[in-house]
Amino acid sequence: MTSPVPTSISVFPRGHEFPETTFTLTDERVSAYLRATGDGNPYGAAVPPLCAVALALNALQEQIALPEGSLHTGQEVEHSAPVPMGEPLRLTGRIAQRSERQGFVISVIEFEVSSASRLAVRARTTIMAPGAPA
Amino acid sequence: MSIDVQPVVRTLTQDQLNAYADASGDHNPIHIDPQFAAATPFGGTIAHGMLVLALIGEMLYAAHGDAWLASGKLKVRFKAPTRPGDTVTASAELSKDAGGTREYAVQCVSQHGEVLIEGRATVAA
Repeated sequence: MTSPVPTSISVFPRGHEFPETTFTLTDERVSAYLRATGDGNPYGAAVPPLCAVALALNALQEQIALPEGSLHTGQEVEHSAPVPMGEPLRLTGRIAQRSERQGFVISVIEFEVSSASRLAVRARTTIMAPGAPA
Repeated sequence: MSIDVQPVVRTLTQDQLNAYADASGDHNPIHIDPQFAAATPFGGTIAHGMLVLALIGEMLYAAHGDAWLASGKLKVRFKAPTRPGDTVTASAELSKDAGGTREYAVQCVSQHGEVLIEGRATVAA
């Protein structure tokens, strides 16, 4: 079986819903994140929320390609419960906003990360990508 | 209750950018390929925005603990690129403390005084 080829973010219209997916943040992945960021806080069995956001974005990139020259220009994160380590997490996302300016497409990806029992993190990521018609 | 938010100061290295690329799965060459990045308008590699933002998350968790995990909100804009070798200071200034919620103006600033990230954060106190 082959994986679907990601589609450039600049192509998705406002309101596009990405297929729901699941991912798991293992101790190994979270430890690698904490080493890379240099964060020595004791999070215990919880995942740092920005780790969950970063790895959720990575999971979404199975569906979204970022063209060369894309920039991450803004980020919103809202936590409503600790993200549990080692449990399957449900990821749902959509294109909440889309606009064009000077040859760039500005897209806001809105997504939620939920554990089996509840919503944990809601986030909005703003990406400016080349690709709009001149 | 007085909550002290201590700044986080860290010098980012190319090794750290490479490690973050592996940890996050974001291998955009602008972050990890000096030859590629040299030919872009940035003139060299730049840090992942989420790597720099992580300093703000680290700072607020250190101050608020589990309340940050369960009730924190963060809204920022990435204002300028962070380069390997930059020393970044993440800081928070209390702007409101009312109704059981604390609101901060947060930012990351380079050693040159350039604002790299700015925005606001709220957390249940």
